[in-house]
Amino acid sequence: MNHDASTAAASPRVRPSYLKVFLMFARNSLVRNMMFRGNFIIECVTSLSWMAMNLAFYMLVFGYAESLGGWTKYQFLVFLSTTLFVNSLVQAFFMPNAEEFSELIRTGNLDFALLKPIDTQFLISLNKVDWSALSNFFFGGALLVYSLARLEQQPGLIQMVLYPIYVVCGVAIFYSLMIALASTSVWLGRNQALYEFWFYITNFSRYPMEIYRGTIGSPLRTFFTFVVPLLVVVNVPARLMAKPLDAQSWPLAIFALAAAIASVWASRMIFNRAMLSYRSASS
Amino acid sequence: MAIIEIEGLAKSYRVYQKQEGLLASVRGLFHRTYREVSAVRGIDLKVDAGEFVAFLGPNGAGKTTTLKLLSGVISPSGGTARVMGFVPWKRENAYRRRFALVMGQKNQLWWDLPAQESFRLHQQIYGIEPAQFDRRRDELVDLLQVRPLLGQPVRELSLGERMKMELIAALLHSPEVLFLDEPTIGLDVVAQHSIQSFLRHYQQIQKVTVLLTSHYMKDVAALCRRVVIIAHGQIMYDGSLSGIVDKFSGHKIITLVFPGDAVPGGLSRFGDVLEEQGPKVKLKVDRNGIAEALAVILAQHTVDDVSVEDPPLEEVIAEVFSLANEQAEAVVARP
Amino acid sequence: MATAGTGGAALDPGGGAAHLQPSALVTWWTILRTSIEERLVYRGDFALGTLMRFLPLVTQVFFWGAIFDALGAVSATSTVAGYTNNEIIAYYLLTQISRAFSSMPNLSNSIALQIRNGEIKKFLVQPVDLIGFLLVSRVAHKLVYYLVAVGPFALVFFLCRGFFSGWPEPHIMLAFLLSLVMSFLIGFFLEATFGMIGFWWLEVSSLLFVYMLLNFFFSGHMFPIDMLPGWWGTIVRAVPLQYLAYFPAAVFLGKIQGTALAWGLLYQLFWVVFFVVLCRWTFNRGVQHYSGYGG
Repeated sequence: MNHDASTAAASPRVRPSYLKVFLMFARNSLVRNMMFRGNFIIECVTSLSWMAMNLAFYMLVFGYAESLGGWTKYQFLVFLSTTLFVNSLVQAFFMPNAEEFSELIRTGNLDFALLKPIDTQFLISLNKVDWSALSNFFFGGALLVYSLARLEQQPGLIQMVLYPIYVVCGVAIFYSLMIALASTSVWLGRNQALYEFWFYITNFSRYPMEIYRGTIGSPLRTFFTFVVPLLVVVNVPARLMAKPLDAQSWPLAIFALAAAIASVWASRMIFNRAMLSYRSASS
Repeated sequence: MAIIEIEGLAKSYRVYQKQEGLLASVRGLFHRTYREVSAVRGIDLKVDAGEFVAFLGPNGAGKTTTLKLLSGVISPSGGTARVMGFVPWKRENAYRRRFALVMGQKNQLWWDLPAQESFRLHQQIYGIEPAQFDRRRDELVDLLQVRPLLGQPVRELSLGERMKMELIAALLHSPEVLFLDEPTIGLDVVAQHSIQSFLRHYQQIQKVTVLLTSHYMKDVAALCRRVVIIAHGQIMYDGSLSGIVDKFSGHKIITLVFPGDAVPGGLSRFGDVLEEQGPKVKLKVDRNGIAEALAVILAQHTVDDVSVEDPPLEEVIAEVFSLANEQAEAVVARP
Repeated sequence: MATAGTGGAALDPGGGAAHLQPSALVTWWTILRTSIEERLVYRGDFALGTLMRFLPLVTQVFFWGAIFDALGAVSATSTVAGYTNNEIIAYYLLTQISRAFSSMPNLSNSIALQIRNGEIKKFLVQPVDLIGFLLVSRVAHKLVYYLVAVGPFALVFFLCRGFFSGWPEPHIMLAFLLSLVMSFLIGFFLEATFGMIGFWWLEVSSLLFVYMLLNFFFSGHMFPIDMLPGWWGTIVRAVPLQYLAYFPAAVFLGKIQGTALAWGLLYQLFWVVFFVVLCRWTFNRGVQHYSGYGG
């Protein structure tokens, strides 16, 4: 072998290409998903069926009432498709990782992630992609096209451009919450309830924020808009697309952008703190 | 020049006390009782570049914890350590690129995919040049003779084969320092042997610094000259393997072969009779009394053969471990 | 604390059927005790988990509030399929109770798993009835759950008492309790039957997915079955899924009265018997089939 210690010191230190690493993660995950094709198909069918049922329910409800918090049927369907976009992206790219992260902390097997010369948060957040979750993304796409066509007022170019940006902001906010929750496994031990907690909490964001009114509703709405910005996730992009632009749209939109950035920053702080307290497993 | 410097390194944990019984469990909801467990209690160590050092110690001695501290996986409760000038628990990327940790029976490769996919991922993460990567990989694969297994999903490999893949993955980026935590645990003898000879060969050629933990003495004997005995979170010995016997064992073993089939009686006054099966007898005799005992025996009896040996290394080490445990229990028992 | 065991025999909490003791009561108590202890180890979970189940209700209250608002703006009578705003929230609360009785988490899967990895053999060899054992341990689980959940449930119902218009009449209450017990039985035997399918087909979990989906939609968990138009409603009521969530809740709210109530209970009883028999039959056939493989 023609290697010696001095070469090691002298060889150039190449920074990993985060994009290339992510593409590898995506590719490996796809290969894996395809290895278990039966499962993959079942997952796709399950999530689509789930969605279909929810859709049927809403259609049933709109058979009785004209609007929900000021959103007519097709406006609400735009809202629903936005929910689908955000949730499917989160479930495809981040959910499996957050679950595994929690488990790795609990079993003390996070060690290997901490050994790699790459940002740990990047590594544990993106190393698995659940491709089957994207089936809902396409369902959302179809639903969006269907409902946009039936709106009284179609969205303009600005809205079409801003929409994907705000969907991404929504994903960022959900991701931050997820990773922050998963990080708390370091201090709280097994986090099963925290996961159910996640689903219940995001339940708040699946309806237009206008439904939260009254003595309890209003403060709830304020809290989940400005303190834990869950309501911003789907509401902002959906409103951009479904409702005509007015002066009121902009403050919230700007806030949404700020909230996304702040959430990601806050979750990184929590993550780093958790990594410092990590205990590993006794062997 | 020391590549690893450790001073007063200590690590202790809080462990939640589980109470027995229903009522106590309910009480546990509101008020947890903790216990402080010291895994590492002040370790001082210097290792030079290119050394192969073994940490030997019983379970719970703190060997793995020490390696984890040196890899930066956990941070200490006290003391300092520097590896290649870096403080490990700062987890700097520049440091992480230059060392590797391999843990026995723990798997970092993707389970369902062939090892070669994991290797490629490594290449991307460590930023290894393609040409250099191909060369390294081929060298390591051929040395460990696993080429036909590269395309098989990792979960289909045997434990020994998986361990070899783990080693390759760890060495692809040419680390200067290698930490091995019980690498041969759970492996069959053939696999153990094969990995041991690989490590010996690799270390000699590459001149990497290796820290290996084990509770198998065979690993240690096969691979290195310098042994550090860790027990109960502290270093009890640091030196050569042969020195252990000299330091810790107060006895030697005299084996006597008598003519005929019978063994004369009364030998027990010289020491403990370990084995007696005519015409052979083994006596455990205090070191200081060897010459005297031999003189008397040879004067009184006719002997066909006599040999004086050190007790088996494993026994000595086992005694050291149990001594450490007793000391530890004494500390705990003290109010 | 009965740790020494009133039965006198040594206890093995983890032993399962292989160590079933002469005194079933003692075993019961051990299962109970260890289940509770197990759940209490991670106390963070425990405290949160039970209360969490009611979080979606908050959203539902607002959701339906908005719906009734829109309705109220149009017409004077605000009912959806005969439910007022309050009643519909009360309905959802009540389905939480009926589901606390009828849901059998992991029952089918664990049966199928035991079949797949051969653990089932110990039941076939020993004089212990698998179905009976499962039923007893499931009752024990439920009791533990109720013990632990009664606090959060009581709290939530107390906070939400405004949605209810008082206690129902005694005979309605009786019917309600009866229907709860029967829905436990239907839930158990239905899911146990699914588990038995594991004797022939390994991928029971895929079948379960389909069942869960249908269950969610057609059991009344998602919305009162009364909302379904025309013959959809008739079809869904012919199927036993309604008893898993909808029926007890509707009974409590007085939506089913008089002869309809009597028939409903009778029909529910029919389904109980049906599934008990079906479960036993599939088990026996399954065992025959399984033994045919020389297990």
